[in-house]
Amino acid sequence: MSLALATLLYEWRRYSAAMVALAVAGLLILAQVGMFTGIVKGVTATLDRSRADIIVMPPKMESLINSGGGSLPARLQPQMYMHPEVAEVAAWDIEGGRWVNHPKDGKKAVTTYVDVNLVDTRPGAVTLPTDFTEETRRALMEPYAVAIDESQLKRLGVKLGDDASLNGKTVRVRAILTGYPNINNASITVSRDTLRLLGMVQKNGKTGPLMLRLRDPARAEVVREQLNKSSKNAYRAWTRAELAEANQGALMKEQIIGLFITATVIIGAFIGVAITSMTLRGAILSSIKEFASLRALGVPMNALRGIVLELSLWVGVAGFIVTAILTLGVYLLALKGGVPMGFPVFWDIFVAVLLLVIAGLSGLFSIGILKKSQPADLLR
Amino acid sequence: MSNTKTAIAAHGLYKRFKTGRTHIEVLKRVDFDALHGDVTMVMGPSGSGKSTLVAALSGLLKPDDGHVTGMGQDLWALKSSKLDRFRLDHCGFIFQGFNLFAALTALQQVEIILKYKGLPKRQAREKAVQALTEVGLESKLGQRPSELSGGEKQRVAIARALAKDPQLIFADEPTSALDGENGQVVIKLLHRAAKQHGAAVICVTHDPRLETYADRVIHLEDGRILDDRRTEHAANVSGAAHFQPALIGA
Repeated sequence: MSLALATLLYEWRRYSAAMVALAVAGLLILAQVGMFTGIVKGVTATLDRSRADIIVMPPKMESLINSGGGSLPARLQPQMYMHPEVAEVAAWDIEGGRWVNHPKDGKKAVTTYVDVNLVDTRPGAVTLPTDFTEETRRALMEPYAVAIDESQLKRLGVKLGDDASLNGKTVRVRAILTGYPNINNASITVSRDTLRLLGMVQKNGKTGPLMLRLRDPARAEVVREQLNKSSKNAYRAWTRAELAEANQGALMKEQIIGLFITATVIIGAFIGVAITSMTLRGAILSSIKEFASLRALGVPMNALRGIVLELSLWVGVAGFIVTAILTLGVYLLALKGGVPMGFPVFWDIFVAVLLLVIAGLSGLFSIGILKKSQPADLLR
Repeated sequence: MSNTKTAIAAHGLYKRFKTGRTHIEVLKRVDFDALHGDVTMVMGPSGSGKSTLVAALSGLLKPDDGHVTGMGQDLWALKSSKLDRFRLDHCGFIFQGFNLFAALTALQQVEIILKYKGLPKRQAREKAVQALTEVGLESKLGQRPSELSGGEKQRVAIARALAKDPQLIFADEPTSALDGENGQVVIKLLHRAAKQHGAAVICVTHDPRLETYADRVIHLEDGRILDDRRTEHAANVSGAAHFQPALIGA
């Protein structure tokens, strides 16, 4: 074990201020990213957990975020079956509607916009999320039945069995879902038949995006490629994973969110460098005689600088570990409160690299203190 | 090993320090030499220039004037990187404070120096174990400074200084922080380094107990050497002592 690592492990308390500063900087960024990603995951939960291997969208759409599903010519739906590996095709969409609950005892009515998710109630349907229970599926077969995530009941002012209005038509809460929280818009799930009864299915030869189930899900990328080759620019096919990634990326490109995160990165880096370099300087100063004795014994200054830099990088690594623990804590809290969060790998790596850069810079800033390691001072 | 027994020699060492508007002359053209296999004791009151002399001899503090020739090299003509290398190859230091890293075990304290000297890992470990065994700490290899007594810490510091087989050993008040018994142990170790490994041991001290083990005692006062004598003890043992400086680590 190197001197730097041994020192950090043995005297971790001395470095805890730096580790916490780095961890807070990391947590600030990851918590924001996690929340924004969570919003996306909440919006697209029914898609992410569907049986679709491929999603077909209008050609110029880059994601489902802020643009809805868009619409495709209805004739594309049968055309998809021309690919021999496609087993099932279904039109899918997220629609929106005005929700008004039916309050009792003179309470104020809840009026809000809701996302309306569509599923097919046939067993094993491509649009039916894999984690829907059999009871939920059966309940949704009833006309005007809606399913609502448990975390949204209060927000929508209803409980199981209650009536409410959706776009002026009466619907009934017949099933409670778990794992479909949405902190952006409230969302409800209905069957295709109910959607049609509510007058929300696209007409005039248009459909929403298409969900495709393949005979062999492992061939999704190959089939996506083949579909796109023959699309003649009428549509664009995505694998489910690609679309999920594009959705997350799309939200991060929103200007206001970009500003939030950039500001956090700058503030986090500033505080991180300030606290970490001061901590390092203090720690080096407290061991300055030991460093001086190494100098006396002939260890060159550059080697001591190397020790300080290595130490600072280990502090960065430790800071990232603390970040991971804190972020996990926040994630578990959020999970308990029904707030979805997501941590895309890109951002995890970004934060890890950022913390190492902050720690490395702090190391560079504190290297100068080594000049005080004058071995001649040890002779007195 | 060199034919001559002189390990280090200095001529006309002059050093002054500025304090306020005046200069204090700390070394006033001192000539000095030390032999392989000798324990040379430098004694004198506080402020007599002992530490400055050792610092100039060992390449830690550049004198304003004068030359130091150590192991055949003109020390103060070397570039600072070469001077580092010189100390790494030839010098061992034992300070009044032990200056051990709190995080490292006794074994690691010694290993780290050998690693910087360029020894392969396994060899560094073997040599470190050997050095610690030599100072009687074979049962404390895995202990950190906080688990060691003052005497044991100083023995670790000595093992660290001796493990790389230095031919020049500088000790600055090595016993002043130790009780009588541990002081004795340390003196004996320094003595052994000179007699068995042929090193030139230069020891600055106030401790009269050390005189018994010295081959030569130099009194320094006011920046000048007042007195330079070989002890009777040296006359008795030196014939046997200067045998083979090359037996290092054997």
